[in-house]
Amino acid sequence: TGQSTRAHPRGAAAVHSRSSQSSHWHGVASWLWVANDENCGICRMAFNGCCPDCECKVPGDDCPLVWGQCSHCFHMHCILKWLNSQQVQQHCPMCRQEWKFRE
Amino acid sequence: MELSAAWHTLSTALVPPAALGLAAPRPEAAGPLQDAELRAALDVLQCYDLHSIVEEWFIEVLQTDLQANIAPEFWSCILQYENKAEEPQCATLLLDAFRLLKCRLEPYLNSLELLEQWTKAGLLLGRGAQTLQEKVYTMFKAILFFSTTKSFQEMIQQFYSRTFRIYMWQWKKGEDGMNECESSMSETEQESDPEEGGGEGQLCAGCSSKKEQCWCPEAMEQFQQLNDILRRLNLLERVSADAVTTILHRMIEERMEQRCRGEYEHSFLNEFQEWIEKVIGWLSRVFLQDGPSAQSSPEASSTLKRWRCHVQRFFYRIYASMRIEELFSIIRDFPESKPAVEDLKFCLERTNQRQQLLSSLKSALEMRLLHPGVNTSDIITLYISAIKALRELDPSMVILEVACEPIRKYLRTREDTVRQIVAGLTGDAEGSGDLANELSKADPVTLENGQESDDDISEPGDWVPDPVDADPGKSSSKRRSSDIISLLVSIYGSKDLFINEYRTLLADRLLHQFNYSAEREIRNVELLKLRFGEAQMHYCEVMLKDMADSRRINANIRDEEEKLPEEERPPFSLVAVILSSEFWPPLKEEKLELPEQVKEAMEAYSKKYEKLKAMRTLNWKYHLGLVSLDVELADRTLSLSVSPVHAAIILHFQTKSTWTLTELSEVLKVPVMSLKRKMTLWLQQGVLREEPEGTFTVIEEEQKDQVEKVVLIDSDEEGDSAMASQADQKEEELQLFWTYIQAMLTNLESLSLERIHSMLKMFVMTGPVVTEIDIQELQGFLQKKVRDQQLIYSGGVYRLPKNCS
Repeated sequence: TGQSTRAHPRGAAAVHSRSSQSSHWHGVASWLWVANDENCGICRMAFNGCCPDCECKVPGDDCPLVWGQCSHCFHMHCILKWLNSQQVQQHCPMCRQEWKFRE
Repeated sequence: MELSAAWHTLSTALVPPAALGLAAPRPEAAGPLQDAELRAALDVLQCYDLHSIVEEWFIEVLQTDLQANIAPEFWSCILQYENKAEEPQCATLLLDAFRLLKCRLEPYLNSLELLEQWTKAGLLLGRGAQTLQEKVYTMFKAILFFSTTKSFQEMIQQFYSRTFRIYMWQWKKGEDGMNECESSMSETEQESDPEEGGGEGQLCAGCSSKKEQCWCPEAMEQFQQLNDILRRLNLLERVSADAVTTILHRMIEERMEQRCRGEYEHSFLNEFQEWIEKVIGWLSRVFLQDGPSAQSSPEASSTLKRWRCHVQRFFYRIYASMRIEELFSIIRDFPESKPAVEDLKFCLERTNQRQQLLSSLKSALEMRLLHPGVNTSDIITLYISAIKALRELDPSMVILEVACEPIRKYLRTREDTVRQIVAGLTGDAEGSGDLANELSKADPVTLENGQESDDDISEPGDWVPDPVDADPGKSSSKRRSSDIISLLVSIYGSKDLFINEYRTLLADRLLHQFNYSAEREIRNVELLKLRFGEAQMHYCEVMLKDMADSRRINANIRDEEEKLPEEERPPFSLVAVILSSEFWPPLKEEKLELPEQVKEAMEAYSKKYEKLKAMRTLNWKYHLGLVSLDVELADRTLSLSVSPVHAAIILHFQTKSTWTLTELSEVLKVPVMSLKRKMTLWLQQGVLREEPEGTFTVIEEEQKDQVEKVVLIDSDEEGDSAMASQADQKEEELQLFWTYIQAMLTNLESLSLERIHSMLKMFVMTGPVVTEIDIQELQGFLQKKVRDQQLIYSGGVYRLPKNCS
């Protein structure tokens, strides 16, 4: 790629990312869940945030999303709470199909 | 015949002959007229029932004599001396006049005593309530000093102030153990009068005349005599009280002006107390019998007591006034000025000057502080000083509350107040360690529980009522919370604003300076958590956690890269900061297309991230970050840390050494205007040159003669924040309300500002996203809409324009 252009015929500027450990291209990015919606269908909070019951209140690893086979996804804490409250059969709260975790 | 002889005896004995128009006193008559003889004469009169007129007659004669002879004589004496310039002469003549007066009145006073005795013995009828003596004294005052001339008053004043000075001087000499006047100007002398200052060593400090002609002793002698005479004639109060009061006031003021003004670092109360004792010594010379052995009559000592009281009161008042006048400077110098504050507190408790203090301090603040010429940080610094100083001065905090209200009101109008306070809290602002210290103080006051009730006070006996000027609407315990941080935070009435500001500040620091110190930020967040509560600071905690997580992920990805063979490693070493977007303040959106090689590197990074964290991906903010790069040119290499835009620009010059602004703008997707601003960095660094305008070329070989070229960088580049500005954010929030407002007005046609506000409060502000809006903000927003012609305002109600609905 364009890194070693020293031999460029026109002799343009050659720019190097410094090789020293500390200095790099510091980029900024935000992470997001690859989900079909922005908000959890149960708690209505953003997927990229965390659910209201979350004790640690740290999004991401500590408040993960889970997908059902019906392709709906929820905060894990939210769907578990929902499933626990179902007496007879466990359905997806969105489509009323039987809930099965997608592996 | 017998009666006539008796009358003659009596009358000649009681009044001086001159008053009766007799030519000359018989020389032999003075001696033999004994009490017995007079009593015999009185008896005769009593037989004829004429004894009752004796007193009346006596007063009649005295009055005539005073009016006709004594008063004119005395005043002509005084008048005659008016032109005399020399002070010692003046004093002598004044004394002479009074001596003469005394001499004239002496016979009357003697007779008066006699008459008193007779009255007591029941020989005379007496005069009921008003004794003869009182009547006589009143007459002296009435006839002699009914109106005094100005020059006479001046003379008296001059005389007393001179003796005062001499007295104080002698006292001081005595105290210093010095006998000679030589030492008067020695270095211990601090109290030197301006008068004496000129003639160093030449003049006596007491009488300010040449040493050889020093008349201090004479003056003191005269002083004593005059006081005796006046005391004898019972004219002391009438003649000298005014002068003495004026002198005392002037001396206290003078002394205070000299010693205390501008001096806040030690207390003057004791010093002045001593000085006042000295003054009392002088007063006792005026009002008490001479000599230490003389028994002071109860009347005189009560007079003295009154004077002492007066002097002290006067001192407190003057001192308090002075300190009140200087309070602004005192506050500015706090805590160095603590002694002055304590003095003022002491005096305030004894005088009634709180109102004066409040109004004076308020106007001083408005004059000197609350105008556009003062930095917000300076205002905050002074406010902090004021909090500290005034809570010393008035533990009930009423003064603080009332006097500082203008500061708080003013700070509310400054846009950068919150930012300054937050910066102060986190120790960022220069020179304001105060707030940071305050924050790290042990046992902080939590801002949440402000509603302790009055009966919280442990000991009922310790309860102190609020001062009268306290606002009855506010509970005293609320006022007493003098915690500086709570006071500052409460300027806006809500802590959310502060927390948001802190969050923005923190985000800025984390994203802008990649060399931030994590420990310090964590400590700050922990400290703020103690103040504002866990819940409020949670966002900041997540932000800091993101930073730590990012570091871990970066290390992870780098390890993986190193396992790869050399040729497969990505060309760019990319380090990412991965944010939890929900927890960061809204980031500024800017469009920027990065060069392919960078985008590739980022994509590769994303892939690795996705492998690491299932079902998650990254959304890159291309315009944020920091790039360290080396620019290698034919003859030199530059190492720089620049923003991604700058890096992207220069990377494009790798493939082509000349670009026009429009070309660059196309590939980078950056508007021409802002791109042009960004170019200045490279122009300044001497990497590019602009020739002709709008066309940029790499300078491969530096022209030595052109190094001086200076290109100014736009200043807004420096303070560029990664966050959307506070105003932008607010605007966005208000936009949310706009749909509601439109709907309301469509249904209800027209509404007043208050109605709109209350309806918004009912329906919108209770929703999941709680946004607060106060009525002023709403008004501003609606007015803007009116200006944009999206709304019509008339007759106090808002309405949608016809075509809109």
